[in-house]
Amino acid sequence: MKNNKLSINRRNFLYGSGVALALPWMETFAAKNAASNSTPKRFMAVHHPDGVGLPLKKDPAWHDWSWFPEPGKTERDFRLTKVLDVLEPLRNDICIYSGLSHPAARTVHGHSNADQFLTGAAIGGSGPYKNSISVDQAIADANGDETRHSSLVMCTNGGTGAPRGTYTISFNRTGRAIPGLNNPKQIFDMLFKTSGKDAAAKLSRSKSALDLLIANTKSLGRKLSKHDQQTLQQYMDSVRDTEVKLIKAQKWLNTPVPNVNASHLKLDSEPKDARSYIQAIYGLTYLAFLSDSTRVATYNYGRENGGGVHDLLSNAIGQGNAHGLTHAVKKPNGWKNLGSYNRFQAEEFGRFIQKIKDTPEPNGNGTMLDNTFAMHGSASSSFHLSRNYPIISAGGKNLGFNNGRYLKFGKGNEDNQAGAGIVTDVGWRGEVKHQEDPLQHLFVTILQRFGVETDEFAGYKGGLDRV
Amino acid sequence: MKKFLSILCLATLSGFTQAQTTPTSNELPPLSKAKEVGRSKSSYIKLKEEKVSTSSKVPKANLESFNKIVAPILKKNCLDCHGPKKAKGKFRVDKLNPDLLSGPHINEWVEVYEVLSNAEMPPDDEPDYHLGDKERSAFVDWLGTEMNKASLVRRNETAHSSFRRMAKYEYNYALQDLLGLKYNFVEKLPTENTSEEGFKNSSELLQMTAMQFETYREIGLEALQKATVIGNKPAEVAFVINMKDEMVRRSKAAEAAAKKAKGKKKSKGPKVFDISDKGSQKRLHILDTKAGKGIQWTEDKYAPVKGAVGGKTPPLSPVVMVMNKNESIKLNLGNKIPDEGILRVRVRAGRTNVDPKQFASLRLIISARTSNNANFEAVISERDMPVTASVKKPQFIEFLVPLTEIPRNPLRHEFGKKTMGKDARMINEFLSIKNVSNAGGKDALKLHVDYIEISGPYFKEWPPKTHAAIFRDSKNKNNEAAYSREILRRFMGKAWRRPVSSAEVESYSGLFNKYRPQFKTFEGAMLEVLATVLASPDFLYIAEKAEVKGKQQITDMELAMRMAVFLWSSVPDNELLILAHKGKLSDPKTLAAQTKRMLADSRAKRFSQKFVEQWLGLDKIENVNIDKKKFRGYNADFKNAIMEEPVAFFSEVLKRNNSIIDFIHSDYAVINEQLAHHYRITNVYGPDFRKVAIQDKSNRGGILTSAAIMTMNSTGVDSHPLKRGIWLLEHILHDPPPPPPPNVPQVDLTDPKILQMTQKERMADHRNNAACRSCHTKIDPWGVAFENYDAIGSFRTKIKNKEVDATSVLFNSQKLDGIEGLKRYLLTDRQDQFARAMVHKLTTYALGRPLSFSDRADIDKMTAKLRKSGDRLGDLVHLIVQSSIFHSK
Repeated sequence: MKNNKLSINRRNFLYGSGVALALPWMETFAAKNAASNSTPKRFMAVHHPDGVGLPLKKDPAWHDWSWFPEPGKTERDFRLTKVLDVLEPLRNDICIYSGLSHPAARTVHGHSNADQFLTGAAIGGSGPYKNSISVDQAIADANGDETRHSSLVMCTNGGTGAPRGTYTISFNRTGRAIPGLNNPKQIFDMLFKTSGKDAAAKLSRSKSALDLLIANTKSLGRKLSKHDQQTLQQYMDSVRDTEVKLIKAQKWLNTPVPNVNASHLKLDSEPKDARSYIQAIYGLTYLAFLSDSTRVATYNYGRENGGGVHDLLSNAIGQGNAHGLTHAVKKPNGWKNLGSYNRFQAEEFGRFIQKIKDTPEPNGNGTMLDNTFAMHGSASSSFHLSRNYPIISAGGKNLGFNNGRYLKFGKGNEDNQAGAGIVTDVGWRGEVKHQEDPLQHLFVTILQRFGVETDEFAGYKGGLDRV
Repeated sequence: MKKFLSILCLATLSGFTQAQTTPTSNELPPLSKAKEVGRSKSSYIKLKEEKVSTSSKVPKANLESFNKIVAPILKKNCLDCHGPKKAKGKFRVDKLNPDLLSGPHINEWVEVYEVLSNAEMPPDDEPDYHLGDKERSAFVDWLGTEMNKASLVRRNETAHSSFRRMAKYEYNYALQDLLGLKYNFVEKLPTENTSEEGFKNSSELLQMTAMQFETYREIGLEALQKATVIGNKPAEVAFVINMKDEMVRRSKAAEAAAKKAKGKKKSKGPKVFDISDKGSQKRLHILDTKAGKGIQWTEDKYAPVKGAVGGKTPPLSPVVMVMNKNESIKLNLGNKIPDEGILRVRVRAGRTNVDPKQFASLRLIISARTSNNANFEAVISERDMPVTASVKKPQFIEFLVPLTEIPRNPLRHEFGKKTMGKDARMINEFLSIKNVSNAGGKDALKLHVDYIEISGPYFKEWPPKTHAAIFRDSKNKNNEAAYSREILRRFMGKAWRRPVSSAEVESYSGLFNKYRPQFKTFEGAMLEVLATVLASPDFLYIAEKAEVKGKQQITDMELAMRMAVFLWSSVPDNELLILAHKGKLSDPKTLAAQTKRMLADSRAKRFSQKFVEQWLGLDKIENVNIDKKKFRGYNADFKNAIMEEPVAFFSEVLKRNNSIIDFIHSDYAVINEQLAHHYRITNVYGPDFRKVAIQDKSNRGGILTSAAIMTMNSTGVDSHPLKRGIWLLEHILHDPPPPPPPNVPQVDLTDPKILQMTQKERMADHRNNAACRSCHTKIDPWGVAFENYDAIGSFRTKIKNKEVDATSVLFNSQKLDGIEGLKRYLLTDRQDQFARAMVHKLTTYALGRPLSFSDRADIDKMTAKLRKSGDRLGDLVHLIVQSSIFHSK
C-alpha cells in the first residue's frame, strides 16, 4: 500500500540490515567525553538458550559435568569442571559468576526469558508485553557515533523473533527488538562492502530539510521577545546538532570500507555446520572490532526452546536437537552430552578471547582484550529455570575489571544446588527459597565503566560489589 | 474553643483556627452542613470589591504600619527563636526587610504569612510566645495587603512567558486533529519532565534536544504515511464464520470421529448434545435453537473466504454461538490478517434477557503463541462494546482496528523459512471475541452470536478521507508544480495555524523540487516535504510574538492557540482561527460563546483527562507495585476503572457546573459497577460511569478517598500515611511540605520492635526523632486520618485484628477524627485555601507556565469572584478564559 522504501527513516532502513547507524541518541545515556583518540572500549555479549547442566551433588556426573566451578578457599582458587576446562589457559582473563539473575523473571518459564537477558525488564510470562533497552544498546547509544556502525546485532535465527520468543537479544531505547543478522556472508558484506548509495541520498535530503528549517527558525525568531528567542535557540541547537551528526554519517559513507582479510572464515557456513558457523560469527566480530567498524556486538545462539535452525548447533558435538539435550539429562550420558555442548560454547568463546588477547592495541595501550568486556551466558541455569544465570565475563582490565575469579553472589545457594537435577516444570513454578542478586547491578557497573553516566538500570540502582 | 476570625484581607488563605470546633457529641451534623458553615466563614466572600489592579498610582510600601503593629509582635513573639540568639529553621525575622515591594525577602514573607494564617506559628507548646487573635489578625492583615501590592508591582517587572513547544500529549492530539487519525504517534518520544507541581505542559521544562528533534521528524513522516495511500486500492481479505455452517461442519466431524472410534476407547473431540443436557451448555457451544441440538466449541483455524468482502447482512439463523460470561470465541486466523490498514470485525449478537441489572459487552483480543511455553496477548478494541439488542433482533457490533497500531506476531511471515524449523504453529495469530459481562444468578445473561465477519484492509471510502484532505482533488492535479504549491499552501496554513506567505510556500516548493527526482511517485516526495513542515517550530511551538511597546495583550491568533491548548490539548479549529483572524475572538461575548462551544465538543474530554491526571498526579500509580497475592481483584480492568473515576468525577462536576467543594466531599459518587462493588455501594450495574447518590456513612464522596488516590499513595501492601499526607498538602491544599533534609534516618524495618508497630505507631516513633519532627508534625496527621483505607482504597475497620486508629492532631492542635473528621475540618475551615489552590492549579495548567509571586493578585481576584458566584467549576473555566492573566503574555 505504501512505498516504504521511500522512507527517510534511516533507522528503519538500517534495522533491516541488522545494525543501527550512529545516530544522536546520546541524550538518554550521556557519555563522558569519549575522546576519539583514546583506546576504543568494546563490548560483546553472547547468549545461549536453554541454560546449562546442573546435576545434583550426589549424581556421579556432578564432578565432571556441573557447569559451575567447584569453589576453593579463595575467589581465585576454583576448580573448573570438564564443561569449562577449555578456558583453563585463560583462567586469569575471565570471571565466572553465580547467584545473579533478573528478579522479575525468576518465576517466568525459561522458554520466555532470553528477551530480558540484556534488558532486565519485567516482561512477564503472558498477556501484554513491554521490553526496555538492552545494556549493549545503552552503550551504543552513548558511544556509538564513534564508529560506522553503532552496534552489530546477530542471532542464529535471523530477525527479531516474537515477544517472549525472541531471536535477538538487543532492544532499542523504546524496548523494540533490533533484528539480528544470521548469514555470515551478509554480515561480511554489510561490514566491509557497503555501497551506501541509498543512504547517501537520504542524508542529502535530510541536509536540505535541515537547511530549510534553520531558515524558518531564524525568521520566526525575529518576531519573538528576547526571552523567547532563547527558548527557540534550543530548537536551533537541536537542528544544528542533528546536522553535525549527519555530517558524521556522511563522512562514514565517504570513507572507504576497511579492507580486511576474511579468507580464513567460512562465510558460507550454515548453523548445521555448527563449529565453522560459530567461528564465522566470532571471526566477523573480531574483524569488526579490529577495523573499528563497531565497538558493540551481540550474538544469540538461538531462540529459547527447540524447533529452529539453532537446534542444529549441537551438531558440533555430534548430537542433533540442542534443546532436547536439556530434556535428556537423565538418559544415559545425558549430563555428559549437555555438558559437552556447553563446553563447545565455552571453547569457541575462549577462542575469540584468545584472539583478541593476542591482538595488541595499535596505540600500545595493552591488548584488545584489555579494552574489551565480553560476556557469555544464559538466562536459565537448570531446566527452564530463570535463576542463577551461568555467566562468564572476560577482559576489560583497562576498564577496571579484575579477572581470574569465581564470584559468588546471593545467599543460601552456595553450592548451586537449587533447581539442580530437575527435568520438570516443578522447578520454575517453585518458590525462590534462596537469595540472588539482581544482574542489573552488574549492568550498571558495566555502563559506568563504558562512560555512561547512570546509576541505574531497569529500575535497579547501584553497581555490583567486588567486580 | 476559640472563635474563628475573619480577616478582611484580599489574600487571606483559610481562616486560621486554633483548636477548632469539634463537638464531642456523637451526633455530628452532616457534612453538607459543614459545607454551609465553611462557606459562611469565607473571607473571600466577605471581601468587598477592592480596587486592586488597575489603579494608575504606583503603590508604596506601608512601613508606618509595620513599625507600629508588626515590629512589636515580631520582637515579642518571634525574635527569641528566630533572631540573633537562636535561628530555628535557619530563619531570622530580624533580617527581613519590611519593604515587600522592593526588598529582597518576598519569599520569606510569604512563608511567614502561611505559618501565621495556618496557625502554625508561634508553636502551641510555647505558651510564652502565644499570639493573640487580635494581634495575629492585624499582622496578617498588614502582610496580606503588602503582598498584594508587591505582586502588582512585580508583575510589570517580571517577564512571563508561555512560549514553549507543545507537550508530548498535546503534540499527539495536534497530529491527530490535523490528520484526522486517532492513533498514538508519540510512543517514541522520551517521557516528559514534570514540574514540581506535577504539570507536564510547563514552559520552562519543555526542552528540545537533537534526539527529540529527530524523533519529531520520524513521527511526522510515519503519521503522514499512515494518513495517505499510494497506488491502487488493496484487495480485501475476509473471513466469515457462520454458526449455521459451523454446526453442520462440526456435527459431521463429530459423527465421523465417533464412527472411527467405534468399538475402541472413547472418541476424542466434541459431541452433539441435546438441549436438555444443561451440563454441556456451561461451556462455549453452538446451539441450534430450532432443532434443539448443540455442540461444544473447540478452537479451529480459518482461512479467508474466496471472493468474500465485508459488510454483508445474512438472514438471521436459529443456529447461534452461546456465550456465557467471560467466554471467548478464539479464532485462529493463521498468518492471513493483513499488515496495514483497518481490520473490520463485525459480530452479530443479541442478549438472552433484557434484565437492566445485567450487562454484556464484547472485547477484541489478539494473541499468538510464540513458543510452546510462551505467548502474548493484547486487547485491541478501544473499549468494550455493550450488546443491548435482544436475541430476536440482534445487532451488529463493529470494531475498526488499525493494524499498524496493535501488537502483531512478528513471526507471521516466517513460514517456510529455515528459521522456523518444523514448528509452523508459531506463525499463527488468534483473534478472540470475549463476552465481558456481570451476568449471574438464576437467569444469567448470555449472548447469542450467529455471524462473525473479519475483513480488511477496510476503507470507508477510496481514497480515504485522511488522504483526500491532503491530496485534494484539483484542476491542477496533472501539473505537479502547481499542485504541489496548492497542497503546501493549504497544509502549511493548517499545520502552522496561520496564513502562510508566498515566500514560505516557495521555499518548501523548492525542497519538493529537490526531492522529486529521487522518488517514484509525486506523493512519496510530497510526504517527505510535508514531514518537514511538521518538524518546523511553527508547528511544534506555541509561539507568541514579542510585545509591541509595553502592550501586554496577546493577539487574537495567540489567544486561539491558548484556548485550544487549554481546553482541547491541541491546535485550534477553523472556527477559532477565523474568528481570531477577524480579530473578534477576544470580544468577551464571543469568547464566552466559544468557551461554551469548546467545552461541549468531544475534544474537551482531553481537558478533564489531562488536567485531572496532572493536578492529582495520577501517574504515581505506576510506581506502586500492588501485592497481587493480597489483592487478587487488582487487575488491568480494575486499574483502568479506578484511574477513570477521578476524571469521570471531574467531568461530572464540570458538565453540571457543580461546586468545586464537591471534590472535598459530595453526596454522590461517579462510579461504575466495578467501583460500586469495591466501595460496597449497591444497585449500580454496568461498566459506564454515572452519578450515584450516596450517604455520608458510605465513607465515600469527593475524590480524596477514591481508590486511585488511595492506591497510588500506598506501599502496594498497606496504606502509606506519609504519602497520603504529602499528597493532600501538595495537590489539594497547595501547601507543599519542604523536601526531607539529607541524612534523615530511615525507618528501620529490621528492628523487630518497629516491625510490630502499626503504621501510625511507626510514624509516631519516627516523629520522636528530633531531626524529623518539624516536618512530620505538619504531614503525618493528615495522612493518619486516611487509615481506614487500605492499600487499594477499601474501607476497613480493623488492621491485623486491631481496631483502626485514624485519629490525629494537626500541628495547630486541630483534632481529626478519621476521614470524616478530616473532611469536616477542610469543609469548615479550609474552603478558602482549597478554592484558591484550585484556581491556582487550573490557571497554571491553562497558561502552561509556573505561576510566580507576581501572579498572586490575579489568582486572589479570581478566587474571590469564584467564591462569590458559588464555586462552580464551569464558571471557573470561564473566569480564567476571561481573566487578564489569560490574555497577557
